[in-house]
Amino acid sequence: MPAKSAAKAEAPVAKAPAKAPAAPAPSAQPPKKDIAQEPAKPKAEAPLDLTSLETRLKETKAIGLMTKIALKNQVDDLLNQFRAFYAGKLQTTLADLRRPYDLLVLKVLSLLQDSDPTLAAAIVASREAIWGILSDRAKFANFASN
Amino acid sequence: MSKRVTGFALMIGMAAFAAMPSLAADDAATRKDLTAVIALQGLPCGEVVSVRTQGENDHVASCKDGNRYHVFLNSTGRVVVEKQ
Repeated sequence: MPAKSAAKAEAPVAKAPAKAPAAPAPSAQPPKKDIAQEPAKPKAEAPLDLTSLETRLKETKAIGLMTKIALKNQVDDLLNQFRAFYAGKLQTTLADLRRPYDLLVLKVLSLLQDSDPTLAAAIVASREAIWGILSDRAKFANFASN
Repeated sequence: MSKRVTGFALMIGMAAFAAMPSLAADDAATRKDLTAVIALQGLPCGEVVSVRTQGENDHVASCKDGNRYHVFLNSTGRVVVEKQ
């Protein structure tokens, strides 16, 4: 027992010299370290292209014409809710507006996921970015004016 | 003459037969479209099993669960679903 504890106690002392040479290694070879860490970095998010998404939604064959018009009606209704909210005419919170937004996104995804999974994936990837516009008064005003 | 008439009738029959799949495909697409529209409004239907088209963007859809809906585009550009 005492031998073991002695070994334990000594361990840090014994390891210290072993670590010491390793420490300068990164500074000695900085490019290698950078290259090794690059794949671990999360990929930068693709910039949101609402125009492209809109065009792809208009052109997809996964959704019928009447369904596209009905979806457009619901998108317009939601945008009107945001307009009223920012104008102070609608007593609600952004958290409450998030629910209809999520529901609408889910509706679109359910229509696309089988027949146009690529577009569905693009919408999933843009979901938070779109919410970022809707939930920011200045960004929404800029978006709505375009 | 009789052979010509028979040949002509045969051609028409074949043309009609060839056109059938595309008509059926259109019908299936309309049923699918109306099923999605009704579901988007949160109305019960299950699946549209038959469609009676009354005009452009104006249909009466019969659902698997027995419900029937008038689905049309109104003058303001909104898709309206009315239970019948």
